[in-house]
Amino acid sequence: MNDMRLTERVRTEMATKMQARGVDVHYGDTHAIKDVSIDIPDRTVTAFIGPSGCGKSTFLRCLNRMNDTIPIARVTGDITLDGEDVYDRRVDPVQLRAKVGMVFQKPNPFPKSIYDNVAYGPRIHGLSRNKAELDGIVEQSLRRAALWDEAKDRLDQPGTGLSGGQQQRLCIARAVATSPEVLLMDEPCSALDPIATGQVEELIDELRQNFTVVIVTHSMQQAARVSQRTAFFHLGNLVEYGETGQIFTQPEDPRTESYISGRIG
Amino acid sequence: MPTIWLFAIVLVTGLAGFALARGRAVASAGGDTRVMHSRPLYHGLNGLLTAMLPALGLLVAWLILQPVLLDRAVVGAIPPEVLEDGAARSLVMADVRRVADGLDAAIAAGVATPEGLAALTAEDDVRGLLGQAGVALGSDVSPYVLEAARDMRATAATLRVVMWVAVLAVLAIGLGVALKRSHADYRARNFVERGVLVLLVAAASIAVLTTVGIVASMLFETVNFFSQYPASSFFFSTNWDPSFSGRGGGSELGIVPLLWGTLYISFIALLVAVPVGLLAAIYLSEFASKRMRSVAKPVIEVLAGIPTIVYGLFALITVGPLLRDAIASPLGLGNSASSVMTAGLVMGIMLIPFVSSLSDDIINAVPQAMRDGSFGLGATHAETIRQVILPAALPGIVGAVLLAASRAIGETMIVVLGAGAAAKLSLNPFEAMTTVTVKIVSQLTGDTDFASPETLVAFALGLTLFVITLGLNVLALYIVRTYREQYE
Amino acid sequence: MTDATASGAPATAPANSLMAPDARTARRNAAEKRFRAYGLGAIAVAFGALVVLLLSILSNGLGAFTQAKLSFPVTLQAEQVAEAEGALLKTSAYKAMLQEALAAYLAEQGTDVDAEVAISLLSDEAAATLREFALANADRYGEPVPFTILANGRIDGFFKGRVTYESAELDRNVSPEQLRAAESLRDAGVLTAGFNWSFITAPDASDNRVEAAGLGVAMLGSLYMMLVVLVLALPIGVAASIYLEEFAPQNRLTDLIEVNISNLAAVPSIVFGILGLAIFINWAGLPQSAPIVGGLVLTLMTLPTIIIATRAALKAVPPSIRDAALGLGASKMQSVFHHVLPLAMPGILTGTIIGLAQALGETAPLLLIGMVAFVREYPDAPPEGLFDPASALPVQIYNWTQRADPGFFERASGAIIVLLLFLLVMNLTAIFLRRRFERRW
Repeated sequence: MNDMRLTERVRTEMATKMQARGVDVHYGDTHAIKDVSIDIPDRTVTAFIGPSGCGKSTFLRCLNRMNDTIPIARVTGDITLDGEDVYDRRVDPVQLRAKVGMVFQKPNPFPKSIYDNVAYGPRIHGLSRNKAELDGIVEQSLRRAALWDEAKDRLDQPGTGLSGGQQQRLCIARAVATSPEVLLMDEPCSALDPIATGQVEELIDELRQNFTVVIVTHSMQQAARVSQRTAFFHLGNLVEYGETGQIFTQPEDPRTESYISGRIG
Repeated sequence: MPTIWLFAIVLVTGLAGFALARGRAVASAGGDTRVMHSRPLYHGLNGLLTAMLPALGLLVAWLILQPVLLDRAVVGAIPPEVLEDGAARSLVMADVRRVADGLDAAIAAGVATPEGLAALTAEDDVRGLLGQAGVALGSDVSPYVLEAARDMRATAATLRVVMWVAVLAVLAIGLGVALKRSHADYRARNFVERGVLVLLVAAASIAVLTTVGIVASMLFETVNFFSQYPASSFFFSTNWDPSFSGRGGGSELGIVPLLWGTLYISFIALLVAVPVGLLAAIYLSEFASKRMRSVAKPVIEVLAGIPTIVYGLFALITVGPLLRDAIASPLGLGNSASSVMTAGLVMGIMLIPFVSSLSDDIINAVPQAMRDGSFGLGATHAETIRQVILPAALPGIVGAVLLAASRAIGETMIVVLGAGAAAKLSLNPFEAMTTVTVKIVSQLTGDTDFASPETLVAFALGLTLFVITLGLNVLALYIVRTYREQYE
Repeated sequence: MTDATASGAPATAPANSLMAPDARTARRNAAEKRFRAYGLGAIAVAFGALVVLLLSILSNGLGAFTQAKLSFPVTLQAEQVAEAEGALLKTSAYKAMLQEALAAYLAEQGTDVDAEVAISLLSDEAAATLREFALANADRYGEPVPFTILANGRIDGFFKGRVTYESAELDRNVSPEQLRAAESLRDAGVLTAGFNWSFITAPDASDNRVEAAGLGVAMLGSLYMMLVVLVLALPIGVAASIYLEEFAPQNRLTDLIEVNISNLAAVPSIVFGILGLAIFINWAGLPQSAPIVGGLVLTLMTLPTIIIATRAALKAVPPSIRDAALGLGASKMQSVFHHVLPLAMPGILTGTIIGLAQALGETAPLLLIGMVAFVREYPDAPPEGLFDPASALPVQIYNWTQRADPGFFERASGAIIVLLLFLLVMNLTAIFLRRRFERRW
């Protein structure tokens, strides 16, 4: 069974994981997202780019219903995960977010030990039967986030004591530990220095093997480096969406071209 | 003439100084205020301050020091054997003061003349005479007290004259200096501003003076108390049993049962206030809609604005009888309306808004990123609060609880009316017990004799209370401040 | 490209549908609901406590505002009054006059109530009241003058349900016969209940005259103390705040002052009472029970509140205002007094009113400086009156709770209603000031 699914996944590598149709978002009186439809393929890194305030982060937060925590936000339209409407009344956002994890702009480790930070998700979701299993998940997650070697001797020290880049990798490890199917990243490198950024970018590329990654970035270079597909947002509209290489070399829309060549943004 | 007139003279002279200095300065500029260094207003203020402040300062200082000087002056008239211990000394001096006041009153009431007083001896009916003037004395007047009282009156009269002369002289000098300085080139503004700054510093220093006053007043009498009653018995005796015979001795004044009652009641109060206050704060800051928050928060804060005497009466006439009839009596736990439970419960209600508003601040100081991080991992709101927000806010909440504990320990009216007066070391919360504050009130109200250990013990109790609450406050403020800095 | 060993979700995470919550999620959601319920419960507890508290005070205290009174005409004769004034026991002479007048009136009305019993329904104050009335109405001797007088506390309590026939059997101070007489007098319209002005204006009364006890002296005393607090605490507090916020250098003295202020704000109020007793009364020799001492103690207690509020208000004025003034050549002092202080004024006033409200309700320190004494004389007008003995509202409440007659509990609750009304007005004023003048930068 496992093998069957595996082969199927390999074959339909570009199968659609998440799909949005006619999504509008209002913040109070502000129309933040206008009629966006997009297909996000499985096990790919999809980048959302665009000038600040274009709605790319807002749209990202719709994908795992993080906007629910903002009382004035109102989302209409359809967003599906594996064909299931995530805004259906029967869907529990908590369960959804276990499948669609999120990493934030600013590293936000909890004021707990490194171990407890990573074990937080598995604990609340009950992913382990015993301590040994939990230890395994923590180690595996830290390894996937390329943090194991630096952190293995100080697992009981507070996560807030790590450097900025390490903190962000800890947050990624924390997100990975819940075994999500989709990983949303909201400008994960904007608070990091270039070396830490390089490490995280490398990590994102590796994560693609196991997860569907959607990354919001204000850096076109970063989008070009890490993503296979790129969506360009402008003033709440999805202007253009396609292969990253194609978007950067032969944009179809003049607005995309202006942005890429530095005239807007 | 009463001293209040001297105040009036100083004030009026100050105002005159304002007008004169301003007028002189403007005149020296030939009426052209543009050539003056400072605006005329500042010359006026310079006149006001220079004339008035030194005289006012002298007057206030004099009035503060006069009682001490008077005591010094008349103590010579009293035989030294009466003055052997400090307690008797203050008693005698109080007598002297009362008789001296009585003699004044007698003259004012017209039942005696100054000449008559000079001829007065202890054999005459001094007590009766003062009684006619409306001053009731507790006992007959002994010769040396009368002598000292007469001395005191004479010295007081002299001092008063000296004070008038000194204050008026300083006033005149001040006014002279102010007027001499008032001309167009004088930098009146700079001078006035420096003067105002001094006043501002003085105002700010009152906080320090208050603390010094609190500590000094209690320390002095506490030392006095420990000279009459052993400190070890005070701190370690488990018996509180003051004798009411006054100076007869035989009192047992152990603080242990009082502290026990205080801590027991505070513990119950916190048991009520911390969960309710904390949960209310969590609900209001995390779950409640904006509208609900805007209604519920002020309503809870109303509880904080209600004076403690109101809670005390609530404990006395509603909660106490209710607890007794509904719980204590049926269960055979006691039949007293005043009890640890009554006082603790009501005090807990009083502390709810205190805990909730402090916790609210602290929970709101936890960055939103923490919540996002937890939600992003698929945690429920409750899980986020319990496992991320509360641990992050824990130091702040501990600080808030310590502040609440300090409040509970120092609270007076609720325990005076709700806890009872019997000092007891018992575990039964439905028994009446008493607290440090209750005993301070009972030992210091009514007829008090500031020489007996039964009265002085109140100061030792007060100092203990002050030290405990101060320690809690300092610790709490330190914890809260460190916590705030963590998220700034 | 795919690494099979690292791929796939762990076996423990079933890839089930979003639409069907698993058992664990259901459990977690139930926990979430429970948690919310605890929070709501806590708020309900706080609300409930407030409601019960207010209801208890209201139900116990509203009665204090009505009072049973007897109204009947009295005909005073000049010679009678003169004789009574000459008598050794003036009150008993007046009592006889009162009884005569009441007997005449009852006979005229044709009720079956015995005058002897009827007179026992009156307050112990009755004779003294008649004397005052007689001396004040010297021009109306010889004609019947309508006269209203308080019924005694037990009779008043009977109409308020506090005293019943059963309780009267056991009470030395009242008999069922008196209650029956009171009922027939009420039916005859002699005994009526009306608004109790004397509760607001009269001074305190002794233990067995609960019906005459009023709040006049206590309210005046509280007013005097508030005046002292306002006159002292506002300027000192504002001056201290200006220094700390605008001028204080970063040094040890400033730190010391800051630490002192935050600690004073949390010192138990009773400690301030000890301070007042030791410093103002024992050392400085100020009189006991005087509003000036109470005012001074409350000033020291209120200062931290005012300073904290004032500093917040000063801090809220943006630095650009100061810079603008300094840029025009104003001195630092001028920029503060001309610009910053006026802009901060609404916040300062709000803080001051809240501080005053706190001071108004404060009881414990006043007990220690002798405000608990029984005072029947109104203090003189300030400034001399500040040194006269007086009571204070919260202390009067405490005082009444210590009396034997249960009628005093009603008075105490009634006094609390008055106190809470004052506090309500003060806090509403503060809220109004904040709403009206608050400025957002």
